[in-house]
Amino acid sequence: MSGAGPASGVREHGSSILVALLSSAFGVALLQITGVLDDAIRADPITGRSTTVGIMLTVIAWVFIAIAIYVGSIVTANTFATIVAGRARSIALLRLIGSSARRQRRAVAREGLVVGLIGAVAGAAVGTGLAVALERLAVWADWLPEVAHDWADPGLAAPILAVVATTWLAAWVGSRRVLTVTPLQAIGGSQPLSLEEARSRPARNAIAITLFAVGTATLVLSMLLGLVTPFAVLIGVVGGILSFTGVVLGAHLIMPPALRLVGRMLGRSPSARLAAANALRYPERSSRTTIGVVIGVTLVTMFGVTVASFRLLIEAAQAEQPEVYEGTGAMLDGVTAVFSVLIGVSALIAAVGLVNALSLSVLQRTRELGLLRALGFSRAQLRRMILAESVQLTATAVLVGLVLGTFYGWAGAQSLLGSASGMPGIVAPGVPWTILAIVVVSAAVLTVAATITPARRATRVSPITALAVE
Amino acid sequence: MDITTSIDVVASEPAAPALVARVANLTKSYGSHGARIDALRDVTVGIRRGEFTAVMGPSGSGKSTLMHIMAGLDSPTEGRVWLGDTEIGGLGDEQLTLLRRRRVGFVFQSFNLVPTLDVEGNLLLPFELDGRTPSPREREWIDELETVLGLDPRLSHRPHELSGGQQQRVAIARALVTRPELVFADEPTGNLDSRTGREVLQVLQSATRGYGQSIAMVTHDPIAASYADRVIFLADGRVVEDRPRMEASEIAAFMLAMEQAA
Ligand SMILES: Nc1ncnc2c1ncn2[C@@H]1O[C@H](COP(=O)(O)OP(=O)(O)OP(=O)(O)O)[C@@H](O)[C@H]1O
Ligand SMILES: [Mg+2]
Repeated sequence: MSGAGPASGVREHGSSILVALLSSAFGVALLQITGVLDDAIRADPITGRSTTVGIMLTVIAWVFIAIAIYVGSIVTANTFATIVAGRARSIALLRLIGSSARRQRRAVAREGLVVGLIGAVAGAAVGTGLAVALERLAVWADWLPEVAHDWADPGLAAPILAVVATTWLAAWVGSRRVLTVTPLQAIGGSQPLSLEEARSRPARNAIAITLFAVGTATLVLSMLLGLVTPFAVLIGVVGGILSFTGVVLGAHLIMPPALRLVGRMLGRSPSARLAAANALRYPERSSRTTIGVVIGVTLVTMFGVTVASFRLLIEAAQAEQPEVYEGTGAMLDGVTAVFSVLIGVSALIAAVGLVNALSLSVLQRTRELGLLRALGFSRAQLRRMILAESVQLTATAVLVGLVLGTFYGWAGAQSLLGSASGMPGIVAPGVPWTILAIVVVSAAVLTVAATITPARRATRVSPITALAVE
Repeated sequence: MDITTSIDVVASEPAAPALVARVANLTKSYGSHGARIDALRDVTVGIRRGEFTAVMGPSGSGKSTLMHIMAGLDSPTEGRVWLGDTEIGGLGDEQLTLLRRRRVGFVFQSFNLVPTLDVEGNLLLPFELDGRTPSPREREWIDELETVLGLDPRLSHRPHELSGGQQQRVAIARALVTRPELVFADEPTGNLDSRTGREVLQVLQSATRGYGQSIAMVTHDPIAASYADRVIFLADGRVVEDRPRMEASEIAAFMLAMEQAA
């Protein structure tokens, strides 16, 4: 399990390459498409003079690209931390024969650079191919005019370089643990190396809590101001960003208790209890595994709730003046769909991370699984244990995301629309049923998908492994 | 070297009540036709009920393999295997799992404990796996084991907070909690210093003396084997000697002679 050979390299880094590829493909495709739209708008004699639309499109595209790359970096940092934990013994051996910790860490980070390069370049090709295909389709269907477009705009280098740099950085951050591996661990005793990652980090905690508190207070303020002016939503956006940044930074404070709570709901059977304990074995790792999904679900839900609340108001108004609001519903649907898909890519990247995290953790627990088999765990019990772990991770992430997203969405609706009826009023939070259904179904698919490989691997573990592996 | 298998059992007869486990004409081979390794060759041997049996032999002689097969952890290439009256050769995975859960206990050289469970959780695991809580009598027995093995102050500790010797004592307690028909121990003292090792051996010995627990222990160490009621020697996949209780010095001398003969 040293990760030296090319085959194990692909196995270990396959998911990180996929994450880099998805981020880069998404960034490139989105910029290519906004570029095509921009060219089309410029070619139009009526709208042609204006550059504002093009700039706005690019800014919006970059918001989504940044979210995707950020989620991708969290996932990659987590993957590298997990890989390093699995390699602790071989790293310790190299330390024992005189390699320095720094050198070991640089080597790991270099792997990150290579992963980033491969993923980003492949992603650029995939993204461009996708954009070309969409453009051809749009022209063929007469949605877009046939306009010349430069498919090799220098600006496209930005997302590619950003993915390479963040992947490299993520590998560096994720490999921090290399520094704590001591040569002694190579000769160490009976216990598997436990790289407990929970550290007290007063500075980070303070920043996270402050951001969350200030952000949430700002958000509440914007909701109150929303009773008199729709511009309150601008304050609300600032409050929301601050508050959610606090949540993401403080994931290690929020996710473990949430995981524990959900774990308890899974029941008291030995499979469920061990699963619950496993999900909390490395609290930091579990936090990072789940926070990506939380980000995706929160954003999608927030958007859905805001739009659904808006729709409730529109429907009320429509009842009185049907002709004024004609077509608004369809437009809202369109915007919701586009935004959900754009955020959905980040959620997909997070899902890749979650699947990989579970798979790696099972791979690194081979010996423990063998022990359980020797003690009389049946294959079905092992399978249930892994399913329960998966359920715990996804259900927690989705629940936290739904709660946060509903709150932020409602806060947004209230600050934007609190004065919409001409007098101060409380906006009822709308329920975005379609989005909720899609989130729940995706979560269920993710839960099952994440268990397939690990469960197969786990049930193949022979009980003798408990005695043999060294 | 002459083969002296002084076993009081004939392979084709049903299991004698005095034997808690036995194998007949057992062969275990690894690898394909080209590079075939016979880990065990035509071994016939039984473990007596209520005895502490040591299995000794040079490295690679097949000790662990024999134990794995007797415990239903591995399957024989040829020959038959019984645990009590049950022939386990033909059992499926599900039945073998139940057999391991209910009828045998294990103590390995290391990594015996589930790292995410505390000591108490590890001790109760065999019951939980069966979906039940210990009966009052079993609870008494657990408490007694905890006290005898000095685990009382450690019950809420996790394995990584215990020393190697403490971990082995927890492992022994867990192997004994269900009073299985047979406890298998593969070099249970292999990772311990000699004093801690002696403590662990005394615990095993007193389980046999105290209430007739059957134990089969694989070891390299003549001192460890001297705690047993009977010593079986393996060499090159065969049983080469089977003796009642021996002194450590006798065992060491025998091992030396065996190595020189090889
Ligand atoms: N999975 C396997 N594949 C191939 N050969 C094996 C396997 N397991 C054991 N062997 C071989 O079978 C023989 C017996 O091995 P076994 O582990 O039973 O020896 P042992 O007496 O327990 O040795 P030690 O004292 O070193 O633990 C050895 O030659 C070993 O190389
Ligand atoms: Mg062995």
